[in-house]
Amino acid sequence: MNRAVATHAPAMETVALRRTLGEGENALEILHGLDLVIRRGEFCAIMGPSGSGKSTLMYLLGALDRPSAGAVKIDGIETTRLPEAALADVRNRKIGFVFQFHYLMPEFSALENVTLPMAKQGVPAREAAARATELLGLLGLAGKERRLPARLSGGEQQRVAIARSLANQPLVVLGDEPTGNLDTRNGDLVFELFERLVREQGQTIVVVTHDPRLAARTQRIIRLMDGRIVDDGKPAEVLARAGERG
Amino acid sequence: MRLAPLFRIAWRHLGHSPIRTALSVTGVAIGGCFMILLSALMAGFESKFVDETVESSPHVTVLDEFRDPPDEFAGWLSERSGGVVAVESAHPRERVYRIKKPWETLAAIEARPGVASAALNVVGTSILNFGNREVGAALVGIDPEAQDRVVATDTYMIEGRLSDLHSASGAIVLGSGLAERLGVRRGDTIGAALGGEGGTRALRVVGVFKTGVVPVDGVRAYTLVGLSQQLLGLGRDVNRIVVRLDDHTQAREVAADLEATVGYRTESWQEQNENFLALFNIQTVITYVVTSGITIVAAFGILNVLIMLVLEKLPEIAMLKSMGFTAADVTVTFLIEGLAIGALGVLFGSIGGYWLQQALAAVPIPMKGLIEIEHLIFVDSPRIYGVAAAVSFGSTIFAACLPALRAGRLDPVVTLRGRA
Repeated sequence: MNRAVATHAPAMETVALRRTLGEGENALEILHGLDLVIRRGEFCAIMGPSGSGKSTLMYLLGALDRPSAGAVKIDGIETTRLPEAALADVRNRKIGFVFQFHYLMPEFSALENVTLPMAKQGVPAREAAARATELLGLLGLAGKERRLPARLSGGEQQRVAIARSLANQPLVVLGDEPTGNLDTRNGDLVFELFERLVREQGQTIVVVTHDPRLAARTQRIIRLMDGRIVDDGKPAEVLARAGERG
Repeated sequence: MRLAPLFRIAWRHLGHSPIRTALSVTGVAIGGCFMILLSALMAGFESKFVDETVESSPHVTVLDEFRDPPDEFAGWLSERSGGVVAVESAHPRERVYRIKKPWETLAAIEARPGVASAALNVVGTSILNFGNREVGAALVGIDPEAQDRVVATDTYMIEGRLSDLHSASGAIVLGSGLAERLGVRRGDTIGAALGGEGGTRALRVVGVFKTGVVPVDGVRAYTLVGLSQQLLGLGRDVNRIVVRLDDHTQAREVAADLEATVGYRTESWQEQNENFLALFNIQTVITYVVTSGITIVAAFGILNVLIMLVLEKLPEIAMLKSMGFTAADVTVTFLIEGLAIGALGVLFGSIGGYWLQQALAAVPIPMKGLIEIEHLIFVDSPRIYGVAAAVSFGSTIFAACLPALRAGRLDPVVTLRGRA
């Protein structure tokens, strides 16, 4: 499935996006009017210090949260006023999440974990199992489909989580520090996978990362600082400018 | 909403910690089991009492008195004079209590709808003695054949037959408790005080009956009508008509109808046993209070287990939601778990309740109170299982609702932020 033809069309978009947490006197604006376009087929990293609003932005892009003001459009769908069930459906069909922790169901085998998002969509069990097997094979986990997560290594668990995020052929894979819990070798492995998915399948991927070495492997870095975009461009340039500023 | 994946998740949650699941199921099962056991036992006692009473006592008794006592002259005078005239120390008129024209009345009663059969009785109290022992007895003068059609009597004979009353001129049949207190057996000769003229008459014990209803067996004695009339000094009067109905549950209605027809006061078996029947109602209420207590404790157990489960699964709930499962999906998943625990609990509780009933019913536990029994009596009615199942299941669902709704409402962002 090659989505390269659709490259350059926006996958997701934010318009004057604001997000305030808390209420009344405790209200704190985390994002101060972000305008951002993620195009199809892009492999993009979001960087920034802790508390800069990276995760908040991720949750908004992934339709897990709604903006306080402004808008988020996922594949042209405005999420602000969508009812809960419709929002859940957008997550199910358009988004694949990978978090720092794998959050696999400990009672389900690797294969079953990958089939869950498909089951939610009503994909027949046989078909879902076939796709899950294919995905696990693609991620180098062939032969380990029947294992419970507890019997997989940390790197393997995270790769199962990535397979799960790809199950419904999402428009965008969102990674919130997906390598945060992995050693360098496994972190590299995960990024290699991402690169391959972008290259071979035209998959759109947005990752939050602290690691400039990994961010350098993407096509675009967006730097956030105190809830504002302070830089956005090719990795080498952004990293160089960040270096100059210290 | 697609239920298949939700069922799968719920099933795995329960299967993953079998001990915890088994404990919750056991809690529900114990509640249901004891509810069944206690209800069946209480209903058993009640139905045994009712059955024995209905079999061994007339369904309706026609008495030799009127519901409204006849106006006395003194009262009439006082009322008419507007209280100006009052009669002090008035004596009620001496009245002979009897049923007038007994055979015509009997025929009139037998012609009423719902009446199966009726018989004339002579009742009164008599002092029976055997050696030095003297015991008061409720003497009932009967015609054995007619009586047996109204009140099952012959079937309760443990020594001799009811028809043996015809065998001797002074024949008497005693209740087992009465015979025991007198210390007599079949064939012994006892004495009875003669009413009216004084003196005693020798009677021959020709049989002993035992209904199992202790208040009956302890006092009742049967003779032929003529002998009772003689012993009680009643001449040729009859003072009771006992009636058997086609349907004993209609006794109150038929009693009222008969009273309207013949004029004499009538009593249904329920009216005669009102105290005991009221006691059974209280007993039923107590049973339900106690067993509901057990069930509520079990429900709290489930509440506990499910709250723990939800807390343990917070990250997975967040992940499910980020995968596109809705709040309703998550709530239903945990409800299914509560449902499964409830269903299994009800199943095992019913099996356990049935099994315990069988086991306890087989153990000889002789008891003598209101009724006399050799074993515990259980009523094995589907209604008891139904009520127990509904209450256990209902309380389980109720207990599951709180954690399930909470799980559904969880904001995944809060969980993810806390962990990141």
